[in-house]
Amino acid sequence: MEDAVVRVGRALRLVLLIALALLFLIPFYLLVRNGLSSEQDITSPQWTFFPSDVRWGNVRELFADTSVPFARSLLNSALIAVATTLGTLLLASLAGYGLARIPYRHANKVFYAILGTLMVPAAVTFVPSFVLVSSLGWISTLRGLIIPTLFSAFACFVFRQYFLGFPRELEDAAQVDGLGYWRTYWLIVVPNARPVFAAVGTIVFIGAWNSFLWPLVIGQDRNAWTVQVALSSFTTSQVIKLHELFVAAAVSILPLLVVFLCFQRWIVAGVERSGID
Amino acid sequence: MTISRRALLAAGAGVGLLTACGSNTGRGDGSGAGPKLSQWYHQYGEAGTEQAVKRYAAAYKKAEVTVQWRPGNYDQQTAAALLTESGPDVFEGGPTLDQIQGGQVVDLTDLLEGVKDDFNPAVLTPKTYDGKIWGIPQVIDMQLLYYRKSLLKDAGVEPPTTLDALVDAARKLTTKKVKGLFLGNDGGAGVLGGTPLYAAGLQLVTEDGKVGFDDPAAALALAKIYQLYADKSLLLGAPTDWSDPSAFLQGLTAMQWSGLWALPQVQKELGDDFGVLPFPKDGSGSPAVPVGAFGAAVSARSKHKEAASDFVKWLWVERADYQEDFALSYGFHIPARISLAKKADKLKTGAAAEAVRFTTDHGYAQPLLWTPASQTAYQDALSRIIKSGANPESELRTVVRKVSAELDRVKKKS
Amino acid sequence: MTAERRVRNHTLWFWIFVGPFALGLGLFTYVPLLWSVGLSFFDAHNTVTPTEFVGLDNYQAVLSDDAFTDSLRTFLVFTAFIVPATYVLSLALALMVNRVRRAQAFFRSVFFLPAACSYVVAALIWKMSIFNGVRFGLANTVLGWFGGDPIAWLSTTDPPWYWLVIVTVRLWLQAGFYMILFLAGLQRIDPGLYEAAAVDGARPGWQVLRHITLPQLRATSIAVVLLLVINAFQAFDEFYNLLSDARGYPPYARPPLVYLYYIALGQGQNLGLGSAGAVVLALIIVVVTVGQARWFGLGRREE
Repeated sequence: MEDAVVRVGRALRLVLLIALALLFLIPFYLLVRNGLSSEQDITSPQWTFFPSDVRWGNVRELFADTSVPFARSLLNSALIAVATTLGTLLLASLAGYGLARIPYRHANKVFYAILGTLMVPAAVTFVPSFVLVSSLGWISTLRGLIIPTLFSAFACFVFRQYFLGFPRELEDAAQVDGLGYWRTYWLIVVPNARPVFAAVGTIVFIGAWNSFLWPLVIGQDRNAWTVQVALSSFTTSQVIKLHELFVAAAVSILPLLVVFLCFQRWIVAGVERSGID
Repeated sequence: MTISRRALLAAGAGVGLLTACGSNTGRGDGSGAGPKLSQWYHQYGEAGTEQAVKRYAAAYKKAEVTVQWRPGNYDQQTAAALLTESGPDVFEGGPTLDQIQGGQVVDLTDLLEGVKDDFNPAVLTPKTYDGKIWGIPQVIDMQLLYYRKSLLKDAGVEPPTTLDALVDAARKLTTKKVKGLFLGNDGGAGVLGGTPLYAAGLQLVTEDGKVGFDDPAAALALAKIYQLYADKSLLLGAPTDWSDPSAFLQGLTAMQWSGLWALPQVQKELGDDFGVLPFPKDGSGSPAVPVGAFGAAVSARSKHKEAASDFVKWLWVERADYQEDFALSYGFHIPARISLAKKADKLKTGAAAEAVRFTTDHGYAQPLLWTPASQTAYQDALSRIIKSGANPESELRTVVRKVSAELDRVKKKS
Repeated sequence: MTAERRVRNHTLWFWIFVGPFALGLGLFTYVPLLWSVGLSFFDAHNTVTPTEFVGLDNYQAVLSDDAFTDSLRTFLVFTAFIVPATYVLSLALALMVNRVRRAQAFFRSVFFLPAACSYVVAALIWKMSIFNGVRFGLANTVLGWFGGDPIAWLSTTDPPWYWLVIVTVRLWLQAGFYMILFLAGLQRIDPGLYEAAAVDGARPGWQVLRHITLPQLRATSIAVVLLLVINAFQAFDEFYNLLSDARGYPPYARPPLVYLYYIALGQGQNLGLGSAGAVVLALIIVVVTVGQARWFGLGRREE
């Protein structure tokens, strides 16, 4: 009797999960369906689940469209996302470790000064940031697109919390062996903290890939466009080409999905041990 | 950019992306003489426009001009860029009153010496402040009402000549599958702007700089726009907005308010089965069509103000052939020069000729004193009137108060 | 090594580790921030180096601007929808995924996948495909199967259907991320607690959830709610991409950042007023966050 209840409950849960999973997948399905349809199929009043004729040509058309440098923008986005991720990981993990482990009288004040910036909406400081970057001569350069975004208080916070919970014995042993902070960090801490690097790295990568407003204003030259800017250029012209827009959107999220699927188990592990709470 | 250029070239060349500009900095690689200038355009939707403006720029010998084609919110990008040294030298834009008063743009009065009268006054006036000219009108854009002759005939509806008739027609034309009228996905608050006021014989700002719609007729006209919405005669939430004729062409609506630029496409797809109208008059007013023009302006922060002004003069004053090409070969615009507009064959017959007539007889341009702050206040109120059925009188009272305060602010500065 | 030298040594190493980050943060966050605060006391139309000091005029103007106070109200409504909705959905997903035996990795991936989407892409799908106002939109197609009339989802204000669009897009994008936080929290719970509960005769399901799981997830819950509220305050992308057009933004569903964006970065660049509004907003965020942290007793653990 009890068993039956449990089994029914379990079956119900599975059904519910499958239904929810389908619901969550609908937007991806629409992206692909519309991306491979002709304009007529998308706007047809008669709904079809699959395009009447699957047009892989849309992808070729997208890359052949000279009005939008799509391949170039993909490359830019990849470069920016990789550089931003590596830079952020380096800077934020060092800072997080210093804050968590190195005794310093004002360490707490520094920490709260860093944490406080989390509460300042980015749009607030947008114009002065822009003027600052342009007075450095960084408009339309990779420097300007990458460097100002490297200092993520969120990443620093996560690293600090993680290192606070890091088993101290390992480091103590290293110190006894005469390793200073620097070598302890690189030889002992980093190799043992891979999950948190993967977790933060993935989050930063996604953020960098998806960021829109900053690249739009800094990347003035079309050769400095990122993929999000290229995408928006499809929607802002007076005539919108729906199929091209959707196929571009689908292509733009592909690299991310790959990164994501590869790293997601690390994210869970990283979050679990970082104590984001 | 600091990344390896060769890698980028290798990646880009295969897909033919490097047709545009080959350099990292956006300035041409060529060793052409003269200073380097950067020129900004917003992203035009019409195919070929970008290539055309690049061709013009390349033909200029006294400076090396690089064109930047800006997607996204153009006004905001130029506004931000004008604060810095790395902004454009030459750009198309209002320029706005605050840009003029803030000394961000260069006085271009001298450029028009002797030809000033050849520029359509409707679009030249909003570029003029303090007796000086701050932007050279490039081409005239105007908006008008498109309607499907066959659908009107089937429903037994005459092309509407009054606002009341428009409300009636839209209601009669609305069926389960087709809506009567499309004024944009927001119900018209965005695109209509001051048009209903001008149709009711009013204006946004008077000659002497006062609020021009502090009048009961304003509330009456706006209430009729609400009627359209309340009748469910308006198409809302279409995949494309008013600026794109797709909704009209796909048969989602029987009438659509759109731009002159849509005319070639409409003509191509519908042949004779369409007509055009100005926004119909209301009460004792007269029909109205909004006209506007981007002005070519020179940034005051440019390092080569002289050279930039010379280039603007060359392109937008001297090269009539380019001006005509730009106006009529890609999209569909009316040349800002009266002499060119008269000459153009494409504007002599059919709907295009009517559009030119509407522009001359009923065209109005937003006054320079109508600043974005006033525009926002008015547009918010219009949206509330149309979509939430807010009381037009009380909404307009608030707008009048805000606009007066804004007009006081800008007058204080001059 | 004397004690003093050791302290100095530590200080040196502290700055070697933290210095580069702190320097960058100072330059790219604090300088613009203070600059913004400075601008808020000036009449700064189309300039970042204003000369006309106006004291608190901008603050007075922004606080008496009904559009700004309206935007704060919009934010409240949005938070009231999105925070509980995300909380419940992500917790439910985590509980179910945690217990499922088959294809756990599959389900986790599916729910987490949307987190990889940008707001630009998601808004595109929502606006152009699912909640398209004409008859070929997915939502309207489904309505059509049941004989309903098409609804203009984003432009109807009565009833305010646009909230459905705005809330679902964010829910879809972020539920998976918070589910991961909950999953991590669940895995930290000592299995012994469940065994003890079973011995005590607690019935699996509601009772266990209420008396064991939820209390054990308290720390995670606090973090999730805090992050949700901060993120809701910063809402910009989906509103902007769903509702703005070339002509501007409708007066409804306009959260503070969108409104400030239009004041300060629009064609009319009133940087003084925009900065004043931004400072007000930042102060509200600080008060709410610190208040919330105090209320939950956060940070005490560390003292």
